[in-house]
Amino acid sequence: MKTKETHQHDIGCLQAIEAFYAYLDGEIEDPTSIEEFEHHMRHCRSCYSRADVEKLLSQRIADSSKAKAPELLQNRLRDLMEEIK
Amino acid sequence: MTKRDEIRAFFSREIEDNMDALYGVALRLTRSGADAEDLVAEAVIKAWTAINTLEDRSRFRPWIFRILRNCNISQYRKQSVRPVETRYEDGDDEELAALLNEQPDDFLMWWANPEREFFNDVLGETILSEIERLPEEFRMTIILINVEGLTYDEAAEVLDIPRGTVRSRMKRGRTLLQKSLWQQAKEAGLIHDRVDGNQQ
Repeated sequence: MKTKETHQHDIGCLQAIEAFYAYLDGEIEDPTSIEEFEHHMRHCRSCYSRADVEKLLSQRIADSSKAKAPELLQNRLRDLMEEIK
Repeated sequence: MTKRDEIRAFFSREIEDNMDALYGVALRLTRSGADAEDLVAEAVIKAWTAINTLEDRSRFRPWIFRILRNCNISQYRKQSVRPVETRYEDGDDEELAALLNEQPDDFLMWWANPEREFFNDVLGETILSEIERLPEEFRMTIILINVEGLTYDEAAEVLDIPRGTVRSRMKRGRTLLQKSLWQQAKEAGLIHDRVDGNQQ
């Protein structure tokens, strides 16, 4: 059985990049995997820097891509809702 | 209030809350405002007729997004026009290594030491247009997760693919997006040549 210390040294840059998006999207559940990823981030400037801009890009994507339903569509859907009543 | 009234009230409330999200996803699927509006209306009608198939109300969003996507597939089948799809296998370290090997060295060098300001300089319209240029499976995965806030499980349900494939598509789609933004920014002079990893 691997010790916690051994686990912390297992992860390399390729594995960190592999886990980037799942980690940033809150999709890694295994505490050991999270710990390994975070340990790598603390010790690797390149991966920390990549992760930092990935977070920023995620925010920019969300801000740029939000759409607002046109008023005509809103009214059309509300009419549909009335019809099913 | 009868059970039917209660279901109607729930459905109306969910549609009201998700109008913008439905339209946003439909817009990415159809790339046309008018077509997106028709697609949303069709999906809402289909969803109401199928409301009894919704077993878990907390899964309303992935359930109706899946109906929306299926309506779009039916549409392009009728028109005999299929969006261009690129098939990739589920990812692992080897697949990621192959993906990174496909990228130019100066992109990889920049990605290891990117400028934060770059993302402030790149316009929202540029990000949008580069997302639009991604193959459909990557575009939709990024939109569902990064824009609409779905979990990987929910996106897997919408796209009818395993969760591992969602994870793989996020990785590949986001790397392709990074690269295309980098190319755009380089052409616009927002990225400078570097010597020994430092900005000139």
